[in-house]
Amino acid sequence: MLSKEDIIVRVNETFVSEFEIDPALLKPEANLFTDLELDSLDGVDMLIHLEDNMGVKFDSEVFKEVRTLGDIYTKVEQLIAQHPEMEKRNSDTV
Amino acid sequence: MNKVLITGLGAVSCFGLTKEDLFKGLSENLCGFKKFESWSDIKGLNCHIGAEVENFDNKFIPRKKRRSMSKMSEMAYLATLDALADAGIALGEIEEGHPVNPMRTNLIYGSTTGSPTTLESFYKKYFESGGEGQLSTSFFKVMNHSVAANVALGIGYRGPLIAPSSACSTSNQALILGMELIKVGLYDVVVVGGADELHPSSVGVFDIVHAAARGYDDKPHTLPGPFDKNRPGLVVSEGAGVIVLESESHMKLRGGSSYGEILGGAYQCDGIHMAQPDQKSMSETMFRAIENSHLSPHEIDYVNAHATGTVIGDVLEGKAIVDTVGSKVPISSLKGHMGHSLAACGTLEVVASLLMAKEKKLIGNRNLTELDDELKDSNFLFNDENLAIEVFLSNNFAFGGMNSSLVVRCH
Repeated sequence: MLSKEDIIVRVNETFVSEFEIDPALLKPEANLFTDLELDSLDGVDMLIHLEDNMGVKFDSEVFKEVRTLGDIYTKVEQLIAQHPEMEKRNSDTV
Repeated sequence: MNKVLITGLGAVSCFGLTKEDLFKGLSENLCGFKKFESWSDIKGLNCHIGAEVENFDNKFIPRKKRRSMSKMSEMAYLATLDALADAGIALGEIEEGHPVNPMRTNLIYGSTTGSPTTLESFYKKYFESGGEGQLSTSFFKVMNHSVAANVALGIGYRGPLIAPSSACSTSNQALILGMELIKVGLYDVVVVGGADELHPSSVGVFDIVHAAARGYDDKPHTLPGPFDKNRPGLVVSEGAGVIVLESESHMKLRGGSSYGEILGGAYQCDGIHMAQPDQKSMSETMFRAIENSHLSPHEIDYVNAHATGTVIGDVLEGKAIVDTVGSKVPISSLKGHMGHSLAACGTLEVVASLLMAKEKKLIGNRNLTELDDELKDSNFLFNDENLAIEVFLSNNFAFGGMNSSLVVRCH
């Protein structure tokens, strides 16, 4: 199972590669919209990139309340804990 | 009627990212063709050569502008920045230069289709998983006005915008449309562009009708060029050409300078056949363009032909040109050097022709060693010629019977 640290690394990798965000800005308290300057289109694509990079399937409704990078770490961790079959799939794809 | 001047040029081609690169490549008789090994895996495709814009680093475009751009929009954006800088006007929010009234300007850009590269990835995913996993930005790359909208977004332009599309006639037709809009006084400035990106599906379109070059995969630079007796067909390329048109009064008021004047032009659909060109219709279009320019055919000094290297198209266009302007006028096509850039070829070829006039050097037909038997007793250029020209006519023809001709006086 992915550790919290693994999740943080994977999520941060996605933000650097797909949204070209300076790694120094990737702190848990960073607001996705005001600090990292994502917008509504980025929000939609963020889920797809995270799914591709982590091998899990996200419910976009769950992510509507996400505001900070830390929120994403937590949501991903919860999702993997609630759906071990995803974790298995994820392990297979790593 | 307002005079329509050409005050800025931008070109991204297989020879480089600037108009200077374009002319240098043509002057040195370079050829952009190369074999794409991966295309050999495409079942049924018989032509595996193309000409691409290499070393194109799109990272200079800010991410939020780049995310909705495919390569055709990126190339058009770069060519636009160069053309506006060349003209010395600021159309959007990011360029330096003379500011213009956006409601007295128009942006007219077209491509053959939306991005074929993105269409491929979009439908690959669509057939695998439907709507799941599709990026929100995909549509902005495949919509028909993708190039026009992305250039506007890129430079921060707010004003009238049109996205015409007629495949290989697109940007020549856009130039004529821009000319007409300025002539009648609707706009002071019209920026015109055409762009397309290389994709094997575009090659396949021509290959299906036996118009793409076969048999030269391993020796692409030796491929007999336009009007040659042994020409095997065309080679698809990519690029973007952008031209700033401006009314004479507007240019004088701001103290600009011009490369030339678009005197007139004509575009018309022959309504005869989707793929077969019609010699009489092509000649009629050229006559109308000359008539529209208030000139006589004998006043044309040079014809930049559409001639893509196809067996049927070249000979019919060649005969139509001779029918129209006579047998003495020098004629050349640039597609033996840079291939057929589809929607970009109209503006790219006008840019190249203006630079030829400026440098007093006509670029000849590359790899024209033995003229087609049906084109004897005419002046198809076998080599470059150091020759001053004043007026040229530029042709572009497209599937669907779309014929277009433009007449330019060089300054």
